[in-house]
Amino acid sequence: MSAQRGSLVLEGISKVFPQRGGHGEVTAVDAVSLTIQEGEFLTLLGPSGCGKTTTLRLISGFELPSAGRILLDGRDISYRPPNKRDMAMVFQSYALFPHMNVYNNVAYGLRAHHIKRRDIKKRVVQALEMMELGNLASRRPHELSGGQQQRVALARSLVVEPSVMLFDEPLSNLDAKLRVQMRSEIHKLQRRLNITSVYVTHDQVEAMALSDRVVIMNGGRIEQIGTPEEIYRRPKSRFVADFIGRANFLEAKVESAAGDSAVVNLLAQTVTLPIDFAPRVGDTVVAVIRPEALKLQENPDLKQVVIEQVMYLGSSVDYVVGVDDQRLIVVDPDPLFGNIYKEGQKLGITFNPETVYILPK
Amino acid sequence: MKHKNLLVLVMLLVVMVATPLMSQGPKATAQEDTLTVLCTPQEDWCVAMTEAFEAETGIDTSYVRLSSGEALARIRATQDDPEFSVWWGGPADAFIAATEEGLLEPYEPELGSILEPEIARGEGGYWHGVYLGVMGFCSNVEFLDELGIEAPTSWDDLLAPELKGNIAMAHPATSGTAFTAFWTVVTLKADELETAEAGKGYDEEGAPTDAAIDAAFEYFSDLHQNILQYTRSGAAPGQMAGNGEIAVAIIFSHDCVKLQQEGFGEVLVNTFPEEGTGYEIGGMGLIKDAPEPEAAKMWIDWALTPEAQAVAATVNSLQLPTNPETPVSELSVKLDEVKLINYNFMAAGARRNDIAERFDADIAPQPTE
Amino acid sequence: MIRLNLGRPIMGFLRFFRDPVLVISLLLIIAFVGVAIIAPIYKMVEESRTEKGRELFDRYLNSPVYRQIIRNTIQMGLIVGALGTALGFLMAYVQVKTSVPFKRFMHFMALVPVISPPFAVATSVLLLFGRNGMISKGIFERRYDIYGLDGLSLVLTLSLFTVAYLNLKGMMQALDPSLDEAATNLGASKFRIFRTVTLPMLLPGIASSFLLIFVEAVADLGNPLVLSGKYDVLATRVYVAIVGLYNTTSAAVLSIILLVPSLMVFIVQRYWVNRLSVISITGKPSGRPQQITHPLVRWPLFGAAMFVALLIVLIYAVIFVGSFVRVLNVDNSFTLDHFDFVINGYGSEAMKDTTRLSAMATPIAGILGMLIAFIVVRKKFLGRGLLDFGTMLGIAVPGTILGIGYLLMFNRPHTVDWPLLGTVEWMPKLTGSKAIGGGALAIILVYIIRSTPAALRTGVSALSQIDPVIEEASVSLGAGSFATFRRVTLPLIRPAFFSGLVYAFARSMTTISAIVFLTTPKTKIMTQQILNEVENGRYGNAFAYCVILILIVLTAIGILAAVVGTRSGTERTIEGGA
Repeated sequence: MSAQRGSLVLEGISKVFPQRGGHGEVTAVDAVSLTIQEGEFLTLLGPSGCGKTTTLRLISGFELPSAGRILLDGRDISYRPPNKRDMAMVFQSYALFPHMNVYNNVAYGLRAHHIKRRDIKKRVVQALEMMELGNLASRRPHELSGGQQQRVALARSLVVEPSVMLFDEPLSNLDAKLRVQMRSEIHKLQRRLNITSVYVTHDQVEAMALSDRVVIMNGGRIEQIGTPEEIYRRPKSRFVADFIGRANFLEAKVESAAGDSAVVNLLAQTVTLPIDFAPRVGDTVVAVIRPEALKLQENPDLKQVVIEQVMYLGSSVDYVVGVDDQRLIVVDPDPLFGNIYKEGQKLGITFNPETVYILPK
Repeated sequence: MKHKNLLVLVMLLVVMVATPLMSQGPKATAQEDTLTVLCTPQEDWCVAMTEAFEAETGIDTSYVRLSSGEALARIRATQDDPEFSVWWGGPADAFIAATEEGLLEPYEPELGSILEPEIARGEGGYWHGVYLGVMGFCSNVEFLDELGIEAPTSWDDLLAPELKGNIAMAHPATSGTAFTAFWTVVTLKADELETAEAGKGYDEEGAPTDAAIDAAFEYFSDLHQNILQYTRSGAAPGQMAGNGEIAVAIIFSHDCVKLQQEGFGEVLVNTFPEEGTGYEIGGMGLIKDAPEPEAAKMWIDWALTPEAQAVAATVNSLQLPTNPETPVSELSVKLDEVKLINYNFMAAGARRNDIAERFDADIAPQPTE
Repeated sequence: MIRLNLGRPIMGFLRFFRDPVLVISLLLIIAFVGVAIIAPIYKMVEESRTEKGRELFDRYLNSPVYRQIIRNTIQMGLIVGALGTALGFLMAYVQVKTSVPFKRFMHFMALVPVISPPFAVATSVLLLFGRNGMISKGIFERRYDIYGLDGLSLVLTLSLFTVAYLNLKGMMQALDPSLDEAATNLGASKFRIFRTVTLPMLLPGIASSFLLIFVEAVADLGNPLVLSGKYDVLATRVYVAIVGLYNTTSAAVLSIILLVPSLMVFIVQRYWVNRLSVISITGKPSGRPQQITHPLVRWPLFGAAMFVALLIVLIYAVIFVGSFVRVLNVDNSFTLDHFDFVINGYGSEAMKDTTRLSAMATPIAGILGMLIAFIVVRKKFLGRGLLDFGTMLGIAVPGTILGIGYLLMFNRPHTVDWPLLGTVEWMPKLTGSKAIGGGALAIILVYIIRSTPAALRTGVSALSQIDPVIEEASVSLGAGSFATFRRVTLPLIRPAFFSGLVYAFARSMTTISAIVFLTTPKTKIMTQQILNEVENGRYGNAFAYCVILILIVLTAIGILAAVVGTRSGTERTIEGGA
């Protein structure tokens, strides 16, 4: 096993499906180009139908690209059959073999690779230990809990030591608590084993928690690629901003612009904000303000808002407030006891300008 | 790994079972110490005949049994490389058809000229008659008692209203037996017409006229009201009578006698129409390009001998022999007790398809009240 | 942007060539279907394309008599298809979804009719319910006229429903119980669950069963021959054309007419199945199936299923008793003569030959059926519908036609002239005693193609239940198509595979009309002996043959169950560890 393996390049990959029942065509993936480094954990994130799963299936070889190339460690594998790609996939439904026990499920890939019997045993036991499944080897899948099933699916894929691991929404069948736990386990494992991983999900929290980089997809195209932080703090479009976390969008007029910053009037305050485009003075732009960047204060000097809804969540409070004819979400993290505002209360609003980001309208 | 073994096991099974079969391989037949017979009568008769021939000649004789239509279809489909050398048994019309299609080879056996009736001597040596079957009525006595009538002894008796829905015969389009019955009525009607006015019943060539055929159709149209079912197989009505499904079956008398021998002796009675009845001739012919022609000719010679023809009675096949020297079984119909009509096989063969189709279109679909 | 927009077929082929094992097996299967099914049938079709044939087409299609016969055939097919599927459904539903006593008994009685030697069931029904029947006349003192559509439907339904039963039972057991649970949680009543969850999930199985039963019913010969009365159907006409009229052309023409309704049902069935997604085995296992305990539902269902089971007992009891008495219903004294005749008489060779040839055909038909099902359901390529229907043709044409087609095709060796290699014989002579194995190969081929369709249909409906993701998981772990089929797909559709094998063996043991043309002195066939005894009115012997035949098939089912193991693996898993 050389350490230098698992770099994956997608060059202008497209996938066109015939329309069901008709003669038309649907472009599921539209000229996607990507480079994934060895050992990187990359997540494809987007709403359903955005093409993320199709992209994963193109990488895995279950679908053939209509155009473009896929390179693994520099070799073109676009048309190589899925079983010859040195990748292993973890499925949403786990896809455990119901007729085999845990041991045989995990040993399956090794047998398919014609590994020696003795080595199979060693590696399976090792994988089971790693996933804390050691005492469940002779159980059948239906005798396991959801989390255990998920571990078996992981062990089964990891044991073949693939160049690339592919995950197709593997946590979406688990309940909330287990999901957080498994998320952390996948994260630890991947960091430890350093296997290139491509992960598909529609859950942005999962994506942020796990990934080195996140790819936001929409309508078959890539909207943005970046680290979780870049994606969250520097969204390139309103779509990305809206999809990743919660965001308030407020229109503002540009009062002056110079280089990588602009002066705008926002919520009755004049602030200088970073930009990566060049607006003209007087243009309308959109400010992206995360809910936790907004603050409510009993201060008549600030822009006044009316609280329309209050939701107490324990670790935070969500407020929906009306300002002019718009609704904003304000999050108060770590609220003090007895210090929750009431519905109908009038308050002033302010924000932390350092986390506000400007997009063109 | 249970399922892994499964495939291996299955393969092994195939090989094990296949090995003995494959090793049989093709056998040399140049010596003509073998003979393959295509046999149409009942299986036990085929067995008895081949065993007797083997004992007589030492030729290793085997057979396949097929109904006459299937036999003809098989000979036709395999004429490039025939598998059988001789075809023995089955109604003469199939042999006439085979002759016309050029599937048979002429051969004149020694005893060919002494066969009775004359029609059994065949035409041009393509086929010869080996047995004779007489048309009759096979009735269930219990059922007749229930209906309060006697067993029918004339074709008109069958029209009795008590018998409504209680008669079965085969379909003339499907069964030589039923066609023989139909042609018997045609001949009787032709005789009637001929008696009334010469030239009305028969044409110059001695074939029954259209008028006679029309009259026969009228008769069967009346009879239709009494018919429960037109069976496909000629002998099937006999079993229906035996099981009490119907009262009267129109079948060959030897089939009825055979059923009596098989356990229906108490319930079945065999009668004949006094106006006259028809008959079938069982044929035999040498198949063209036969793989074992010499052995086949030996079979044909032998099959006409009294010894060979006497085999029939040993297996309850009570057709009458065509060699007059063959002893006739006690159980067989006595030819002096029934009146045989003058059955014109050539004319019957020529009209068969027309009649079958007309029967199909005009009579069979008629509703019964 | 350059888009490789050469259309689906080329993409499909590209995909195939990535997997040589798959390409080779696909080509082999296509070659097999082409040579063993299509070619012989085409030989017969050629007959119908002559001038004489076209004339006959015209005549038949314009004749009121034949139009009636065509209508009868379709009517009978639809009735038997619907009744057979419904009966199979009932028996399976009672078996899987209700908690009632005597389940094993009912299961067994539902399996028995898969062994219906020609004429045996029809004859038995006649003896029970005919005009002089032991029940109709003996108990109700009525001469019931069973000949016609009613009798025919009864007998065909009882003989053919088993395949629907096995098919639907397998599917019901595989149904994801969490669906029921989800529906119950949503407050649905049991009937609502049945109508809105269970039934739709089973539609592919229902459609498959209906298709198979329809196709078999319209092509069946033995039962209409005995029971159709004045209700004429095409299959008997085909037989009559050959046997009575010596007219092969007419038989070919009628067979083609017979194919039209079968083709139509096939297309409708495909349309239905393709529109539905009914995956219930996802590889994400869940709990145990719920059973119906409500007495108002449970007991009527139980009563109906029990009635059918007892009816089958009665019918087979007639066969059984009939083999031990002189002449049933006429002379009821005990005798062993019939068994003496069958075991020591001239038919004993036939018994061995038939069993041996059937045993050879069975595994091939079973595996072939599952393979074709796998390819047809899972692989997307141009012409998979044709492959599916091509395989179905094996059962859709009357046996008589197939038999003659085989003679026309295989009675001589086929050669091809290669430019360099000279003349190469690619297909030796198969029929007749001079051929390989004394003509056994042709008979085995016919057994295979007559029983593959049933295996194919059960395979298709079983596969449509299994999430392809499970197979993808296998491929993703490095297993090729063939290994995936062998180690994942086949074990998962084991119940369907098992019923395919059982069906193949039983069908091979009882098939007749096609085989008649292929028997040689070296290969005699048991069903032909049965027919011969029936023709001679020796019911006792015929019944004794049937009893032995039934015993052979039951033994075989036992062996198959031990080897393939219906209750191990998947089924137990699917039943939720029951």
